[in-house]
Amino acid sequence: MQSSYLISGIVIAVFATYMTRVLPFIFFAKRKPSPLIRYIEWNMPLMIMVILVFYALKDVKWGQYPYGLAEIIGVLIAIFVHVRFNNALLSIIISTVVYMFLIQKIFV
Amino acid sequence: MSFFSIFKLTIPVLMGYIPLGMAFGLLLSKLMIPWYYAFFMSVFIFAGSGQFLALTLFASQATILEIGIATFLLNLRHTFYGLSMVSTFKKFSWKKNYLIFGLTDETFALLKTNEIDEKNKEKVYLIITALNQSYWVIGSVTGAVLGNILPFNYKGIEFSLTALFVVLSIDLYKKSKLHKPFFIAVIIGIVGMLGFPSEKMLILSLSLAAAVLILFRRNLEDAK
Repeated sequence: MQSSYLISGIVIAVFATYMTRVLPFIFFAKRKPSPLIRYIEWNMPLMIMVILVFYALKDVKWGQYPYGLAEIIGVLIAIFVHVRFNNALLSIIISTVVYMFLIQKIFV
Repeated sequence: MSFFSIFKLTIPVLMGYIPLGMAFGLLLSKLMIPWYYAFFMSVFIFAGSGQFLALTLFASQATILEIGIATFLLNLRHTFYGLSMVSTFKKFSWKKNYLIFGLTDETFALLKTNEIDEKNKEKVYLIITALNQSYWVIGSVTGAVLGNILPFNYKGIEFSLTALFVVLSIDLYKKSKLHKPFFIAVIIGIVGMLGFPSEKMLILSLSLAAAVLILFRRNLEDAK
């Protein structure tokens, strides 16, 4: 990967992340945010996170063997473990290990 | 408050940040990105899911604009944390800039859940934030260096990202008062994954989601 691409990508990510943290201190030091802003802040992150799940799966070849089965199983395990034990790290580790096992040993 | 008692407060974050940081570092090394980028990203970005997202975007050669917009939207939840800290931080010196920079989900949770007397607040907050960031930096650099040394078949480790997004979706769903946006996002995600051109998928889906959210606000808020 080109270092100029990486560096500009990181710089923009630094800036974008910092903006999300500093904006309230700039804009809302005196006045309260409007209900619309609050509504977007409450609801947008969930929608983004869900879309990111599908974004992460966008290169899966659903029409070819094994028809995305490893991904589907991995996601179901992550959901199951997380709903059952409510431990983010545990859910991520178990589902990733199962997924790695599936694509390395089963669906080769 | 002694340094050790502050350290004890941060142990739950230590337990989370070291392994998650290592996962981030491993993933970074698997993308053939040199280890020191893990260091710089964790020092200057300091956002767990934001840094994972950056790796996903790097891997798919997203444009700089897309990286900026996606990171901003993903981290938008931080503005919330800021909002509830405005009055507390107002009394602090210039050092509060570091607190604002370092306001991650976990740091916010620690600052909000622990009662600290007014006199020591600024100092204790600074130490908590710095300790948390040091765990994150140590974890990610260790992961990135180990990824280059350990002879291990990492094929499929990128699934940890998908799993992270799944887990965060569930957490946010549980906290969310409205559940319709979740189902709308699922539909948009599926349509986007199958129907939108791969390189435009993220930006198109996010814009669509924002548009639906704002245009149908009344419908979404009414029926819970």
